[in-house]
Amino acid sequence: RKQKDNDTASLSTPSSPDALPAAAASPRAPPARASRRVASPGPATARAAPMGRGGARDGAAAAPPWHSLPDEVLEHAFSFLPAAADRGAAAAVCHGWLGAERRSRRRLAVANCYAAAPRDAVDRFPSVRAAEVKGKPHFADFGLVPPAWGAEAAPWVAAAADGWPLLEELSFKRMVVTDECLEMIASSFRNFQVLRLVSCEGFSTAGLAAITEGCRNLRELDLQENYIEDCSSHWLSYFPESFTSLETLNFSCLEGEVNFAVLERLVSRCRNLKTLKLNNAIPLDKVASLLRKAPQLVELGTGKFSAEYHSDLFAKLEAAFAGCKSLRRLSGAWDAVPDYLPAFYCVCEGLTSLNLSYATVRGPELIKFISRCKNLQQLWVMDLIEDHGLAVVAGSCSKLQELRVFPSDPFGAGQVLLTERGLVDVSASCPMLESVLYFCGQMTNEALITIAKNRPNFTCFRLCILEPRTPDYVTRESLDAGFSAIVESCKGLRRLSVSGLLTDLVFKSIGANGNCLEMLSIAFAGNSDLGLHYILSGCKTLKKLEIRDCPFGNKPLLANAAKLETMRSLWMSSCSLTLGACRQLAEKMPRLTVEIMNDPGRTCPVESLPDDSPVETLYVYRTIAGPRSDTPDYVQIV
Amino acid sequence: MELELGLAPPNDAGSCGKRRSAEAFGVKKPTLPLFLRDDDDDGDHGNGEDDTGDARDCEISMGNKRKRLVGWPPVKSAHRPRSNSHVKVKMEGVPIGRKVDLSRHASYHQLHHTLRLMFPSTSHHGDPYAVTYEDVDGDWVLVGDVPWEDFVRSAKRLKILLV
Repeated sequence: RKQKDNDTASLSTPSSPDALPAAAASPRAPPARASRRVASPGPATARAAPMGRGGARDGAAAAPPWHSLPDEVLEHAFSFLPAAADRGAAAAVCHGWLGAERRSRRRLAVANCYAAAPRDAVDRFPSVRAAEVKGKPHFADFGLVPPAWGAEAAPWVAAAADGWPLLEELSFKRMVVTDECLEMIASSFRNFQVLRLVSCEGFSTAGLAAITEGCRNLRELDLQENYIEDCSSHWLSYFPESFTSLETLNFSCLEGEVNFAVLERLVSRCRNLKTLKLNNAIPLDKVASLLRKAPQLVELGTGKFSAEYHSDLFAKLEAAFAGCKSLRRLSGAWDAVPDYLPAFYCVCEGLTSLNLSYATVRGPELIKFISRCKNLQQLWVMDLIEDHGLAVVAGSCSKLQELRVFPSDPFGAGQVLLTERGLVDVSASCPMLESVLYFCGQMTNEALITIAKNRPNFTCFRLCILEPRTPDYVTRESLDAGFSAIVESCKGLRRLSVSGLLTDLVFKSIGANGNCLEMLSIAFAGNSDLGLHYILSGCKTLKKLEIRDCPFGNKPLLANAAKLETMRSLWMSSCSLTLGACRQLAEKMPRLTVEIMNDPGRTCPVESLPDDSPVETLYVYRTIAGPRSDTPDYVQIV
Repeated sequence: MELELGLAPPNDAGSCGKRRSAEAFGVKKPTLPLFLRDDDDDGDHGNGEDDTGDARDCEISMGNKRKRLVGWPPVKSAHRPRSNSHVKVKMEGVPIGRKVDLSRHASYHQLHHTLRLMFPSTSHHGDPYAVTYEDVDGDWVLVGDVPWEDFVRSAKRLKILLV
């Protein structure tokens, strides 16, 4: 698939203003390479070898056709390249292709909202119909980024309203979205169809009302894990009675009540509704009546799903689920009502995805339910499933591709429900398993080595041993050997999170073997600067590195400064960095923004501090937009 | 009862088998908490959520719980044990109260920051203020004395007083 653009096209130098932005905006595009100047195009000099094949070198002196292809033809050709990485590669070929590609690009993903200025992005890609922008660093999910850090969506919405009037889809992740943003979205894009907000905050149900009222062609309203202030405005009621285009409605993260009658009417008239994810305010019997109105659902989030057992409610649910022949994805905060689980045995066989990560239901009924889901590809569950439950999963769900096991009692005293056994069993019996997130209390090298041998096809392996620096509980050794086995065996590993007791040696292994690794998370690991150096000098394709509480200092950071420009971002908190090194880094690498964070209580300016001042949190990212101007008082850009 | 003062906090929760990690936490802070550890408390660990009880009793069994680190383990707040962590906040002299979701904050620093944003008159005047909370017993206590997670569970509402 990769076109080897060897000798057939002239290439622009990387210093041209066009080349770098294209690389920055499409996150997986390779960085602009060193100039490979070839003779300028012309019939006499250019060779007519067709791409990818070695034919027609004999005497074909005619101009290669692609130098004079009209833009429309190029744009049509590019429309067959939906993947951003491919489009980025095409754009880097020459000025002509750059222009044709950028004018015709329909989807834009901005993985770091501060990597480029919104206006520049809109100007560069004027035909975008779908945009996705991500803001805060990943560790913000765990409370490591204080409030008011930044990542405001408003500048992006304003720029889009100006330059993309035909915008149809907007997606924000970990950003601050205000009611004003939502109002602007509702009034600026006449064909707006898809709004997806993931882990965002700053808006209320009043903003949602603007969306439901104003977006006449809305197909998807997908609210995932946002913090939404409840203004008791009946946002759902603002959908006009004539509105029928909804295909996805996800309000599972909403805390407040919704008017059920309005919801029921909405569900009844939207015959194309495929995804419906309810919040915890919808009681069980109402779920049943909604299902009867929408038997065509493909994805259902049941909300709280807890009630005392009543046989007539059971019968209602059973009948309702029996009608849902297309149901493939099921989720919900099932609270200890195992008696109701048999009511939807009938959908088990069709399920490909089951998300019980908010569910406290446990016991044999839960396991029996999961064991009937023979076609499950994705299972998210609490550790209440325990090892023996996972053994059943291993035996029943042979098509499992993704497993996530969350801790039910993250701060507890380590009442061990789940051990390494569960993961070993699943890895042994599920040949298609490629993505794992596993929280547990104990691990051994032997288990990890076994898992690595069973599953060389892992693309994502995230293991979190709850107690920091926990060694192999049998041998008392570090878990270096285990994690090394994982990276050595899983050649296609793209994402890795390590935990437990680890020395610098594991990072030597990761650096040497993580040739596809794009994201690495490290906590409470390593002995010295060497650990970080191994990572930064290896891991050729690393994009995101997040580190906390490791004894990594200034030297490896400065020694590998250039590496940071090939990455999207680096986060280091509670390590051994000092201000002087950050200053040096910022000076050496003008296309990086070097942000340091102090305790919100402290506001003394960074200029006045000496070089040896410790830096609690460092966040570095590449950007073509220069330093941002919206930092709160506890963030300083060096 | 064993009084232990050292460079590293004891990091084996005594109830979890004989896991004695000799490896120190390597905490970088210059001052360290004083731990009261009751080795006879083995049977008492129970469910982390159960012993909200009294703050006083919590201190003694604290050694049985995992030490609370900010942002660890890495689970989103949505995945943490659910509690109604919205509390009303009133400031002396300000007629309109606010509500703050404690579970979306990971430390006292973050809470203070949010409160300053919510009640900008505090930072504007530069007047010293004290944040107090009503605990499960109905007593008004100065914020900041107990570990953050214990505070989140026991705080019923907040009141900001001008000092």
